[in-house]
Formats: sequence, C-alpha cells, structure tokens
Amino acid sequence: MIQVPTVHFLYLSAILFGIGVFGVLARKNAISVLMGIELMLNAVNINYLAFTKYWGNGNYNGTVFVVFIITIAAAEAAVALAIIISIYRQMRNVNVDEVNSLRG
Amino acid sequence: MTMTTTLFYILAGVITASALMVVTLRNLFHCALFLAVTMLGISGVFLYLGSEFLAAVQVLIYVGAVTVLVIFGIMLTRNVMDEKAKAMNTQLLPALAVAIVLGLITFLAVSNSSFQWTDHPTAAMKTASSIPSPAPVEVKANDVYTLGPELISPDNGFAFAFELVSILLLSALVGAIVVARKDPT
Repeated sequence: MIQVPTVHFLYLSAILFGIGVFGVLARKNAISVLMGIELMLNAVNINYLAFTKYWGNGNYNGTVFVVFIITIAAAEAAVALAIIISIYRQMRNVNVDEVNSLRG
Repeated sequence: MTMTTTLFYILAGVITASALMVVTLRNLFHCALFLAVTMLGISGVFLYLGSEFLAAVQVLIYVGAVTVLVIFGIMLTRNVMDEKAKAMNTQLLPALAVAIVLGLITFLAVSNSSFQWTDHPTAAMKTASSIPSPAPVEVKANDVYTLGPELISPDNGFAFAFELVSILLLSALVGAIVVARKDPT
C-alpha cells in the first residue's frame, strides 16, 4: 500500500533536525531557540513512527515513545516560556547572547 | 508514482520550507505561524504512517497548545523586538556550518544504511538478533487499539513511566506558575 521507502522518512527527519539545530544555535531571541528545539523533537518523532511502521513487526513501543516525547515537549515548552517571561521581567531583554549575568 | 506517494513528497516539501521559514524569518509572530504549518505537515506525515491518534494529538498539542503558548510568550515580551534588530546572533556562520555538517553526516549515514526496504525486517536482520522475532502481525487500522494496552497495561513496563510522566506534567505546571509569578513571596 505504501511505496515511500523508509529512508525518505529518515531524510526528511534529518533535514528537519538540521534546521532545528541551526535555529537553536543561530537565533538571537530565546523564543526562537525554543521553536528550534520543538522542530528537533518532531524530527525524532517522525523517525520513531517510520521505524514502528516499517520495521516494528507488530511491536508498538515506538508509538508509546512518541506519546512520551510529545508530553515532555509540552512540559518543556511551558517551563521554558515561564523562564523567558521571568527573564524579561528582570532584564527587559530575552536575547540569549545578552542575558549573561551568570557568567563568572 | 501513485497519488499517496506524491502526497508524501508534497508534505515533505511543505514541512521543509516552513521549517526554514521558522528559523530564518525576522518577525517572531510569523515564525510561530509557520511553526503551526510545520506541525500540521508533520501530523500529515503521522497520518501517512498510519498513526491517526498521534496525528490528532499532534494537531491538538502542537498547533493548539504549544503555538498558542509561544504566541503568548511573544506578545508578553513584545516590545524588545524592534523590526530593525538582527534576528541572528554573532555565531551565524559557525551555526550554519554545524547544522550543514550534522545534516550531511546524518544523510550519508542513513543513505548507506540498510533501511532502504519498505517492508518488515529482512531475514538477515532476523538472524542477526538471536531473539526470535515475533510473527508479523497485521497492522491494525486504528492505532488506538494498540496504543492503549501498550501504554497502561502493567505487563510491559510502560505503566510506571506513564505515572512518572503525569507527575512530571504536574510538577512542570506548578513550576511554570511559580517561575512566572510576579512576586516570589
């Protein structure tokens, strides 16, 4: 029924992960960094589901892992945005290269 | 090339293009909207992979909750982003190099791997692992029937993780409120 090879899902996932890494490393605003992290987590989810579908052989553990990843990503987004709002309240600034008061 | 495979490549193009928009656009609000488009495309890929439940969860949580949360964050920190400010920090070129090298390594590793087949594991894979693999089970039409017992039946070890992740969610909720509260008294 499905003719797309597994490796094309892995290519899509690799591209998405690379874009996410670029977003995390290069963006200035902390919220953009958070969005890059979300892209990377979703790349991992695509990998998990592709392997479950094609190579799982009736084993659905990958699907369960995706559920856990989505849950933890949601918790992480909530805490990260709370931290960003708190930093903004303290320093009027959410640029990750300027918030460096913990630097020794 | 049938219609469904064409649909997958269209989806992949949409996902890649909108993900690039997410990391390159200057206006953060547009970034968040393109993040929603990316997540919708990824939920389409999940549908393509036969996980209807997870596709619905993806739309509910990412498009519905995380994007709204991100937009709230953008609006609460609004006036720091003037339109002329640079979107990228000073390590743009090293970051580009790292991302491209990482993507290329993953790409090459995947394309040289043995995951080219669309089918279930081959005989070589089965003999490589000494554990006898279970007989191929027919993929059910609806993944909720497989996901529910996998998730909370006490037999296969995920019930404990399920409880742990609910405690994590609760503590993240409380922690987010405490961190974002105005006067920490």
